[in-house]
Amino acid sequence: MLALALALALGVTLGLLTNVSVPLASVTYLGVAVLAAIDACLGGIRASLERTFDDKVFVSGFLTNTLMAAFIVFIGDRIGVRELYLAAVVAFGMRVFDNLGAVRRLIFHRWGWE
Amino acid sequence: MQSSSRRPALVAVFAVLGFLVAIAFNSTTRAAEIRPAGRSSDLVAVVREMEVERAELQERLSELRTEISLREQEAAEESGVDRSFTQEFDRVRLAAGLVALAGPGIEVTLADSKDVPQGADPNDYLIHDTDISAVVNALMVGGAEAVSVNGERVVATTPIRCAGTTILVNATRLGNPYVISAIGEADALEAALEGDPHAILLFDTYRTQFGLEVSVIRRPEVVVPEFRGSMRPAHAVAVGGGM
Repeated sequence: MLALALALALGVTLGLLTNVSVPLASVTYLGVAVLAAIDACLGGIRASLERTFDDKVFVSGFLTNTLMAAFIVFIGDRIGVRELYLAAVVAFGMRVFDNLGAVRRLIFHRWGWE
Repeated sequence: MQSSSRRPALVAVFAVLGFLVAIAFNSTTRAAEIRPAGRSSDLVAVVREMEVERAELQERLSELRTEISLREQEAAEESGVDRSFTQEFDRVRLAAGLVALAGPGIEVTLADSKDVPQGADPNDYLIHDTDISAVVNALMVGGAEAVSVNGERVVATTPIRCAGTTILVNATRLGNPYVISAIGEADALEAALEGDPHAILLFDTYRTQFGLEVSVIRRPEVVVPEFRGSMRPAHAVAVGGGM
């Protein structure tokens, strides 16, 4: 748990120090990427708690989900349906809350609070 | 939860998440910096504010310039600095357009047409930057010693250009009508105007066809104010270390 928090802090520091930014036009891609990362993080914690975590499944899932989301945003831009990115946002958002709930229940279960 | 820390892939994705969030933060702050006033009405207000500020700074600049020349005179009288030096200085200032001048000359007034017929191209009925620069150039050809447009002194670095619906001279927005004052020999100035193809169009064709108000008046005394902008070069360096 501590390692995860440290990694998160390291990522934030690195990003702020390098002061990388994306152009205004690509902000949607970044937002979807952030959502995909949050989803992957919660999904990974859930899998760990369920003892079904697998490196290959986790990394490939994270990458393909992110790429697909980026592709949907790109297609939306091309065909003039800017709102298409909402499909990715909704899908990721639902998964985030789904995973959050599962993680919560698993922690309760493990600590015997049920 | 111990188990989750032993997953390097999970730790790596957490770092990626942190990095992405930081990038998002950077991007949104940068976007806010670039466009503090996102709406055009805000931008108009910003321009007006800056114009007021510039007017104050210009006033201060001319005060300081007057003070400098006064001090120079005092210093020259007190310490007996070579008289030719201060005289040379005054001449340079005069040539650069930093001194208001008066003398005989002419005033050319150009004004937009009062009525534009239905369906006509309104551009034909307005005074354009090219009209003003043609007249200024013709006056220079006629030996004008000092020229100003609506009180904006024309110096070596003066641009005359169009910006939307207004005309900029020395980066100052001018409004219709446009009065071009020139000091020089009136006969020569008028002759130069009559010899300039663009000015001829303006005075004959455009005036009669489009109703532009164009007039030339001789005056025994024309006052041309000093240049109020900055004269500090950012890129140019004197060749041979003359400065």
